[in-house]
Amino acid sequence: MNLSVTLGRLELKNPIMVASGTFGYAREMQGIVDVSRIGGVLPKTITAEPRVGNAPWRTVEVSAGLLNAIGLDNDGVDAFLESHLPYLREIGTSIVVSVAGRTQDDFVSLASKVGQQDGVAAIELNLSCPNVSGGVDFGTNADSCRDVVAAVRAACPVPILAKLTPNVTSIADIAQGAADGGADAVCLINTVLAMAIDWRKQKPMLGNGMGGMSGPAIKPIALRCVHQVASAVSIPIIGIGGIENIDDVMQFLVAGASAVQIGTANYYDPTLSTRLIDQLPAALAELNASSVADVVGTLKRS
Amino acid sequence: MSKLHADFYADAMTQVEAVITEQQLIAEETYRVRVSAASIASTAVPGQFVMIRLASRNSPLIGRALAIYDVIDDSDGKPRWIDLVYIRKGTLTQALAASPLGTQVTLWGPLGNGFSDRPCDRLIMVAGGIGQTPMLLLGREALGNQTFGDGSRQNGWASQVELIYGARRESLLAGVDDFRNAGFGLTLCTDDGSVGEQRLAPDVLAERLSKLTSGETVRVATCGPEIMMQKVAEICATAGVDCQVSMETPMACGIGICFSCVAPIKMDAAEQDGSEGWDYKRTCVEGPIFDADKICWH
Repeated sequence: MNLSVTLGRLELKNPIMVASGTFGYAREMQGIVDVSRIGGVLPKTITAEPRVGNAPWRTVEVSAGLLNAIGLDNDGVDAFLESHLPYLREIGTSIVVSVAGRTQDDFVSLASKVGQQDGVAAIELNLSCPNVSGGVDFGTNADSCRDVVAAVRAACPVPILAKLTPNVTSIADIAQGAADGGADAVCLINTVLAMAIDWRKQKPMLGNGMGGMSGPAIKPIALRCVHQVASAVSIPIIGIGGIENIDDVMQFLVAGASAVQIGTANYYDPTLSTRLIDQLPAALAELNASSVADVVGTLKRS
Repeated sequence: MSKLHADFYADAMTQVEAVITEQQLIAEETYRVRVSAASIASTAVPGQFVMIRLASRNSPLIGRALAIYDVIDDSDGKPRWIDLVYIRKGTLTQALAASPLGTQVTLWGPLGNGFSDRPCDRLIMVAGGIGQTPMLLLGREALGNQTFGDGSRQNGWASQVELIYGARRESLLAGVDDFRNAGFGLTLCTDDGSVGEQRLAPDVLAERLSKLTSGETVRVATCGPEIMMQKVAEICATAGVDCQVSMETPMACGIGICFSCVAPIKMDAAEQDGSEGWDYKRTCVEGPIFDADKICWH
């Protein structure tokens, strides 16, 4: 079975990736899964300057889901290049570095700096983090999205993925903006803006008030977004949102995703990612497919 | 390893499907559950924890971090089961408490760093609420009555072990007989005086530390409500006694990938440039056991 996938200029050995912010810097997972087998690893989003992140609580469980407001806690790009990238480039799989900025110039300078490093297969633009001010703007306006992707593409030598938010009226319009800007693929979806409340204390449960919802509860929203974008936009899609078993993976592929990212499930089933790679060939064979591409976007009209 | 890397990644953990073989109510709303998990039982050391969730269910979704209360050997003397003690409170612990024997759970561990095994004359453990759970193994190891992990840790490293254990009332004290049978000196404290002394556990510690024999080396280990641990840390700092605290920040993964369970930790001098001298550190892979003087208490 041919598990390799092509996402614009990015080629991966298989479509099972792990989502930014749910896999640490991969070193954390070294003793838990064979990280070299994973199709693509996304370390936690980096910013130009160190960020201490939000005050606790940073996560709260909800029904079949999780709210988070971590706040892009990270040590900044220079520390990432010095301390994490040397390890990451040796782990034997494609490294896609997630970056976030407040301005277009932030994205451009970060992406060009990181994109020039050895061992970086692609850049994912986190245009959609709900937990930092300014982080979400590029993901909610198609023109801004197009412009930031185009500016990054002009300055960055490696493939560019645009990670989009579902918290918009028409995600297909935003995805079209990313495509027009030259993105190699769009990643759908980031977390759904949400809230949890302790009514006795009359306070939000998250330290930051609101946060992003992930986990199995948001999978139907993510599938809907992938379907809408696949129906309207021609660039490849990476499906993200609540994946916790091989059936979920197949649903995203059929809906139109060429690859998927495992997110919150890494928290509660740390060995899932490589099990999915083991299970994928049999699932593809059930649809008489000989490659991943054979099933992508094969959803029939009901 | 760079300063930006944690010290205690979960390199030795295993993820297992395990079966509940025993479960009993041991105090008010407090349960002791036994699960078969030889790979975890044979590697765990005092102060480490596991993540547990109900297998094949996605609500409740996220694992719950529980300290390892006891390690039980099989008839060949090999570690086979672990016991966890928890208060029935949230969705997962309510579901766990209602689970019949034979229920499958998913476990991963052992996780975190564990308490220091540095020798001393006296080990004083101060626990509050459910914070007594890591103390049984620590005290047994200190007295030389049980060995843990790969054999690299010291054993019998304290000649005297005492537990000062406080709770709101007698009905919440869990495992008192276990601690007594383990040979610990035991002082119970309750807020309402329903048993033991009607004062706070840190006050008992302060009294102990005021009456030390000269030349006697003492170490303190504490686990419980943060306000109690802060008081313990202050008392130890004043007395010049080494103290380790077990931080119980809410966790989502237990393995360092989610960055939820952070606590404000003082940075080493070399790390202080450009910050205010502290940073949020993940208690799952930097702790949960910290030297008390490294914590930025609120």
